[in-house]
Amino acid sequence: MRTIALILMLLRPVAAHAGDVTLALRTANGRPLADAVVTVHPANGVPRTPIRFPWSYDVVQQNLQFVPHVQIVPVGATVRFPNRDRVRHHVYSFSRPARFELRLYGRDEARSYTFTTEGAVAIGCNIHDQMTGYIKVVDTPWAARSDAQGRVRIASVPGGAARVTIWHPRLRGRESESVYNVTIPATGTFARQVTLETR
Amino acid sequence: MFALRSISAKLTIFYAALLAGALGFALFGAQRGIEHHAENVIAREMTASAAVFDRILTMRSQQLGEAAAVTASDFGFREAVALGDRATMLSALDNLKNRLDLPFAFIATLEGELIGAGGAIPTGEREAIWTAIDGGSQGGVLTINDQAFGTVVSEIRTPDLAGWVVFGYRADDEALASLAGMGSLDVSARIVDRASLAPAFRDIALEDARPYEVTEGGERLLVSANPLDSLVEGRDPVLLLRYSLSAALAGYGPMLWSLALIGGVTLLLTLAGSFLLARHISRPIKALAAATQRVSGGDHAEVKVDSRDEIGELAQSFNRMVVAIAERERQISHLAFHDALTGLPNRALFREQLDQSLRRKDGDGGCAVLCIDLDNFKSVNDTLGHAVGDRLLGAIAAAYREALDGETIARLSADEFAAIVHGDGEAIEAKVRAIIAASARNFEIDGHAIATGASIGVAIARQDGDSADMLLKNATLALHRAKEEGKGSYRFFEPRMDAQAQERRQLEIDLREALDRGEFELHFQPLFCLNTNRVSSFEALLRWNHPTRGLTPPAEFIPLAEATGLIVPIGEWVLHEACRIAATWDEPLPVAVNVSAVQFRNPGLVSVVFQALARSGIAPGRLELEITESLFIENAAETIEMLHQVHRLGVRIALDDFGTGYSSLAYLRRFPFDKIKIDRSFIVDLLTSDGASAIVRSITALAAALGMETTAEGVEESGQVDVLRAQGCTHIQGFLFSKPVAASEVPKLIGAIGERRAA
Repeated sequence: MRTIALILMLLRPVAAHAGDVTLALRTANGRPLADAVVTVHPANGVPRTPIRFPWSYDVVQQNLQFVPHVQIVPVGATVRFPNRDRVRHHVYSFSRPARFELRLYGRDEARSYTFTTEGAVAIGCNIHDQMTGYIKVVDTPWAARSDAQGRVRIASVPGGAARVTIWHPRLRGRESESVYNVTIPATGTFARQVTLETR
Repeated sequence: MFALRSISAKLTIFYAALLAGALGFALFGAQRGIEHHAENVIAREMTASAAVFDRILTMRSQQLGEAAAVTASDFGFREAVALGDRATMLSALDNLKNRLDLPFAFIATLEGELIGAGGAIPTGEREAIWTAIDGGSQGGVLTINDQAFGTVVSEIRTPDLAGWVVFGYRADDEALASLAGMGSLDVSARIVDRASLAPAFRDIALEDARPYEVTEGGERLLVSANPLDSLVEGRDPVLLLRYSLSAALAGYGPMLWSLALIGGVTLLLTLAGSFLLARHISRPIKALAAATQRVSGGDHAEVKVDSRDEIGELAQSFNRMVVAIAERERQISHLAFHDALTGLPNRALFREQLDQSLRRKDGDGGCAVLCIDLDNFKSVNDTLGHAVGDRLLGAIAAAYREALDGETIARLSADEFAAIVHGDGEAIEAKVRAIIAASARNFEIDGHAIATGASIGVAIARQDGDSADMLLKNATLALHRAKEEGKGSYRFFEPRMDAQAQERRQLEIDLREALDRGEFELHFQPLFCLNTNRVSSFEALLRWNHPTRGLTPPAEFIPLAEATGLIVPIGEWVLHEACRIAATWDEPLPVAVNVSAVQFRNPGLVSVVFQALARSGIAPGRLELEITESLFIENAAETIEMLHQVHRLGVRIALDDFGTGYSSLAYLRRFPFDKIKIDRSFIVDLLTSDGASAIVRSITALAAALGMETTAEGVEESGQVDVLRAQGCTHIQGFLFSKPVAASEVPKLIGAIGERRAA
């Protein structure tokens, strides 16, 4: 799935006067920070067109885990929660952007919820406390998640001033975010290595 | 300190001391052991108690921790927390406090607020508590206003960490005291901060949770301090357990007391037992010691033996020793007072008995002392040996004992006996004769028939002396007199004997010096030859010019000189002097010298004769030795050999005093005498007795036949000369012709007589 998404992303036509944003995320003790969500908001605003990401918006419960652990969906996206475990799950969220509760449902059943507000939503299972997952609802098409090496690449970001936001559930700071105002070059790559304070 | 002399005291004290030492050691060991054991037990209990407290506190924490976790995971509770529904949160906390009986419960939010802590937690503590919880503290001891609480912390996840729910429970002294009731020991527990501990103990408690002994106001305490978790940082709470060791050990007191009591009773029993045992041992030893003292004092003391042990054996040996000592004493005293050979009393006992008799016999009948001397005993010893002599003495002693019939008989020396006899003069004499008779019989010893005899001197008590010494001395004098008078006789003591004996002793003293002083002198008596009517020779006669007694006749001192041996030097002087004088004579007439038998015992006699001849220069034929028959009685063979030697020199030998004593013709045959001198006793009777005449005739005939001259001695009357001439006697000697004269008179006499006879 992820590979397919990556291929789709590469096949996208490159906009004029756009650059790539490449970040390498590290924790304070030098470890790569995975599952961080990086969003870029150009100062000129984002297009009015509906946002679509090339990956599936599903959050699967498999082996008593939410997969993926961190999901990025655009505002308005409906996320399905298919249960691939043999046990039942009771997915809930007390997060301000989306308070919902998907009462007990079983294997191969799928419930869905439509996220209408931008923000980070922590989801859990009322039955299995150790199951946590996050759905980052974004309002920009330029969003990506760091891989196991802590690397993030967002292509075709319009050049010019932009606000780069890095979110991670364990990040210290308001709303678990770190915000940077940067200038994206018209062409080329905006590459940075960022060290972040985590809890 | 008194000296321990007796065995019983020594043994008693020794055993008591030994046991007391052992008991003291055992008691000390028991006390130490009990204390050590108790301390160990208490220490283990302490450790166990500490573990129990720890576990109880842990369990309490776990219990509440679970409750907190349940609360924190409750969906409604989480929802209220997530939504910030303060009212719901507070009511839920109140509900929990009531349900779990908690002093406090609150929620710590991520923002640093402690919801529900109002009242329970002072504002000043809140910042530290939140920081600790936010730093990850899982709970622990929290001290508020010196009151200890336990706390547990549980995360609230919604599902992300939204805060913590914190429960507190009481852990003050009272709460811990109720927990202590669960332990087996009376332990007082308290949670304190390490900083409040005594500095020395603070460090020990850090290192080691083992009990530590302290003394507080005279009370021994075991204390252990176990570190506890603290909720907040910078605090160091410890669980302090205290246990009174003194109180615990007090429980062992009665045991030690009863041990001491048992020890004391055992000690007393041992004292009594060892005292009795020692007394049992020492009593017979004391008896032995007492008996030993009595024995050394001369008593005959035996010990009663009533045991068969070593001491009993000792007592038996002691008794045997006492008997043996008594027997030996008896033997020794018997030997001391008796003669071993004959069994008769010895001189010492005899004197004692004589003393007793003398004391006892005051006023009673008379008593006398007999000194008895065996005749010829020496020759028995010499010829038959001492063994026979000894047996002879035994036989004679038995014979005497029988003869005396109960009177005391003793052996004084070799062949000398003594007796004490009682009765008047006649009875005494009868007993003396009985002894003579008993001695005179033949004794049969080892096949030898031995004839012996005894001489006896008698001294009568009171009359002859008052003391034993005096009586013995006088009886001995009487014995000597009896011996002198012939063997087998007896003499009663006479006072004269004593005077004579004294005189004799003085004479002996004088005699020893007479030769040196030149008191001796030779007189000469001429012998007249009947054939030639001339003086034919002179007989030299010894005279002693005693300084006080005057001229002393030979009969008075010659026997004494013979008895003392002085005759040897005197005889030598006589020989020399006689030859010297003879050499001065105008005519070479022979000179005759008397030689005693004693002189013949001296082997030097022959050389003395030779020297006398050589020094004077006279011809040997002028010297004539006159000997008597007694010469032949002892050592006849040797004597004859010496006579032959002298004879070979040319010296003439004359047999003096012929006809007296044991005159035996055998002598005449055994030696070729040159002359026989007929004893004067025959000459005196010559004119009155036919027998005498006949004897003289036969002697002269015999002498003529043997080629010997004959000399008649003691011729005092001219009638005798005629008879003698008629009987064939060749020479005469006597006062008729001339008495002995001084040497200076001799030359005159030679001429005078010759002239007279010639005239």
